[in-house]
Amino acid sequence: MNCKELAYMLADYCNGSMDPRLREELDDHLSRCEPCMAFTKTFRATCEGTRKLREAIEYAIPAEVRERLGTFVRAAALKYPEKMREYRDQIERDRREKVADLVSAATAGKLSSASALLMESHCAACPECSGYFDALRSTGTPPAGDPPAGIRSHLIALMQALPPGEEFFLA
Amino acid sequence: MSAERWKDDEALLESLRKGTPGAVDELLRLYQGKIFNLAMSILKNESDAEEAAQDVFMTVIRKADTFQGNSAFYSWIYRICVNTCLMRLRGKRRNETVSIEEFMPVFTDEGMHASPMDDWSKEVERDALNEELGQMIRKYTEELSEKYRVVFVLSDVEGLSNEETAKILGLTVPAIKSRLHRARLYLREQLSRYLLEGKAG
Repeated sequence: MNCKELAYMLADYCNGSMDPRLREELDDHLSRCEPCMAFTKTFRATCEGTRKLREAIEYAIPAEVRERLGTFVRAAALKYPEKMREYRDQIERDRREKVADLVSAATAGKLSSASALLMESHCAACPECSGYFDALRSTGTPPAGDPPAGIRSHLIALMQALPPGEEFFLA
Repeated sequence: MSAERWKDDEALLESLRKGTPGAVDELLRLYQGKIFNLAMSILKNESDAEEAAQDVFMTVIRKADTFQGNSAFYSWIYRICVNTCLMRLRGKRRNETVSIEEFMPVFTDEGMHASPMDDWSKEVERDALNEELGQMIRKYTEELSEKYRVVFVLSDVEGLSNEETAKILGLTVPAIKSRLHRARLYLREQLSRYLLEGKAG
């Protein structure tokens, strides 16, 4: 071990996590090398000094900053759920509209080819949805109200499976 | 980190998610001092640190219900704080910091110390809490570029383990160890020059 290697091993040496054989080698070098001894002692003293000053370099939060920060965060936190609810309602309204559009497009046979394909393969595997649409097609009238929750969630998943930007009905 | 803190954090996170009244007060009580301190250590400017702290708390409140819980809550908050501060630093022209290379110990090609070493450790031990020396250590710490300063602050000032610091910064443990060691070597060298010059003058 030379002085340079020793200098780069000091972190492990000082925090006691060093392999015992390496430690022995390092101690041996220290006992024969005055500069390294001084280097090690001053390195340790530096770490010790910064550690002791931990409290002193703490930036205490000034009372007026604490006050302002508290007021700001509390006010913003109160408004946050309201805003969130607004956004969620908006998303819900949009989604309901889309599902209704999808159902009427499917009933009228106006699905785009990609979504017709998706719908077909889904209905082949899902008796719930195929039953629902068969009934609608046989009466030929648009449905009253939202489809049942189970079917609705399937339709939402179907729409999400479309590539972004692709419309599910024919223009 | 103590088990108690862990429990506190769990309960706090739960109440933030549910929007329990008083949850935000508790969050502020537990963390505003720590977050301000960490932001100050990185940004070194009170109004910047205050704005950063606002952003940090808003992010925590907004994202509490999406927090995955695969890391501890405090380390998540620290991570948000570090990222917020670093983003602010990037937005600014930052003050030229001292090159750390210039203050690494110098060795000969054979790996021997290139210059004689003075042992001033006794002086520091004796005067560790001496105000002037404290000021110098603080000044040298602030001169570190943020790459080193953030690591140094998290482990030596906040007292976090290398593993915790690595998680917060998204770096490996060896990278943390190496930066920390270089930061300490730099501080040693700076202190050395300061103390020896003082003696000569």
